[in-house]
Amino acid sequence: AVLRRTSQVRPLHGSGCGQQQEAIGMETRPETFSIFRTQENDPACQSEQHLGQYYTVPPSHFHTVFPHGLPPRYQQQVKTFNEGCVMVRQPALELISHLKRADYSKPTLRYLLYGVKGSGKTMSLCHTVHYCSTQGWLVLHIPDAHLWVKNCKELLPSSYHASRFDQPIQASNWLRNFRTTNEHFLSKIKLRQRYVWTKRESTEEGRPLGELVDMGVSRVKSSSDVVGAVLKELRLQAGGTEGGFRLAVAVDGVNGLWGRTTLKKEDKSPVAPEELTLVHNLRKMINNDWCGGAVIATLSQTGSLYAPSSAYLPQELLGEEGFDSMDPFVPVPVSLYSEKEFESCYLYYLDHIHFHHWLQHPHSQTEEGKKELIFLSNRNPSVLERLCAFL
Amino acid sequence: MAASLTGLLKPWTPRVLLVRWSRYNPYYLEPGPRKEVYHIPETELTPEQKEERELKSVRPIKAATNSVTSSVFNDPVLSKFVNMMMKDGDKIIAKGIITQTLENMKRKQVEKYHKAPEGKKAEIECNPYAIFHQALENCKPVIGLTSIQKGGKFYQVPIPLTDNRRRFLAMKWMITECRDNKHRRTLMYEKLSQELLAAFSKEGNVVKRKHELHKMAESNRAYAHYRWW
Repeated sequence: AVLRRTSQVRPLHGSGCGQQQEAIGMETRPETFSIFRTQENDPACQSEQHLGQYYTVPPSHFHTVFPHGLPPRYQQQVKTFNEGCVMVRQPALELISHLKRADYSKPTLRYLLYGVKGSGKTMSLCHTVHYCSTQGWLVLHIPDAHLWVKNCKELLPSSYHASRFDQPIQASNWLRNFRTTNEHFLSKIKLRQRYVWTKRESTEEGRPLGELVDMGVSRVKSSSDVVGAVLKELRLQAGGTEGGFRLAVAVDGVNGLWGRTTLKKEDKSPVAPEELTLVHNLRKMINNDWCGGAVIATLSQTGSLYAPSSAYLPQELLGEEGFDSMDPFVPVPVSLYSEKEFESCYLYYLDHIHFHHWLQHPHSQTEEGKKELIFLSNRNPSVLERLCAFL
Repeated sequence: MAASLTGLLKPWTPRVLLVRWSRYNPYYLEPGPRKEVYHIPETELTPEQKEERELKSVRPIKAATNSVTSSVFNDPVLSKFVNMMMKDGDKIIAKGIITQTLENMKRKQVEKYHKAPEGKKAEIECNPYAIFHQALENCKPVIGLTSIQKGGKFYQVPIPLTDNRRRFLAMKWMITECRDNKHRRTLMYEKLSQELLAAFSKEGNVVKRKHELHKMAESNRAYAHYRWW
């Protein structure tokens, strides 16, 4: 049951929606704060009370936690509004509660976020990544696995393994972003094995991980092998008892790892995903044969290759091979906005205390306009965002 | 031979059936898509509105076009602009360009708003629709020129313009300016938003073209009496 408190709620502008439903047990907020925002900026302390409310990612954390991985339209929105606000939603809270209670001495649990296009899977993943980085985990965030299986200008044959192919540009970009995210871990983790790159170059045992990553960024030719080495080291050391850290592997668009690529070899025959070093190493990471962390993945039809646009279920997008490798996993469905979440989003765009009305059209601020927005967007988050952008 | 004969015997129906003809019997009334008109209760109607309603219940009504909606966000001026921008009947692309333009204008203005000092914030207009309408107003010429033949020579004579003609000229100049004078790599919505923002503050090439037309009309004042209507 939900209480409807009318006396303590400050009337909001223009919107005539006096039916704000708040959960039982919530304290009266000071009047300067809004119904749809919460001051609880730490993902670990957020609970069902805060469902549907926006929390702000502190600006100091923003560039370290999310150098890559946010959807492009959301990045534009952050730039325009000068603040990064994320809505607290059910799938993200569920994931965070699983992560809090999981046993990290057992093999890794794999979580899969799935849902229709534009329902907020990537944003839920980013929320979880923010939680992991505030808890001091090492975050391995791959912004979009589809970027590794298509549009690659340079495909070098791998020096380590004869039949595989390297992607220097993608690997060095990813290493650079990895370095920004996990600065403080790079000096603490020591390598457990000696790696030989060329006849003259090698990285000795006991050197810090930071050196390996720097080498990968500067020597672009061997960057894919460096990525493989980094992943292997992290896998070995994640569950360790001395100086052990927890490892979060966040992969967006995981269905790109099993399927087809659009890349071609020099004799015009298609390249299978296994033949790419990056994909091969990432698949080993997603296997649950290591412990001390979690794998959080998102399905994505938007960037996927050779998948019909109406497909969103795991079985359809992962295919047989992918499903067998991911099985067993914890499926987390991401649905469209509920009524409360839609209200909250609408009020956020209408907010004029923090930034001038985003919804500028005079009719969009009336009841009629709101009903029309619900009808046009069907409560789909990304469609609503695009509609409000030009209204 | 048998195949072609049987083809001729079939009753022929056109592939595309016209629902709305552009030439109707004057008996037909215009459709009224706005919802507010029908929500007024019986008692509050003026005598003209009552007459209109009675007429609508008796007479046939023309079919509404596809571009007219009962949506609150329907803007006839914007629809006209979209139709003028459209090429080869591709309204989806034209509408897409316009929505991107509006979004782009709003973003630029909101960013400007955030950077402005406190005193100047109230002056910055963030509503892209208001900017669009004001920019179009600023581009509309007051007086136009037409070519009239007198004594074997053609003279440019200043004439008054109807509202529709002024609106058409403003939109046409805006679109041609954005199509012709843009860099190869700039996208249409980017150029259009720059031009609209410039026209809003009465700068830019379109407003310049309007001023040149006015100057020409002023300089040809002497020929004004060649106009006989």
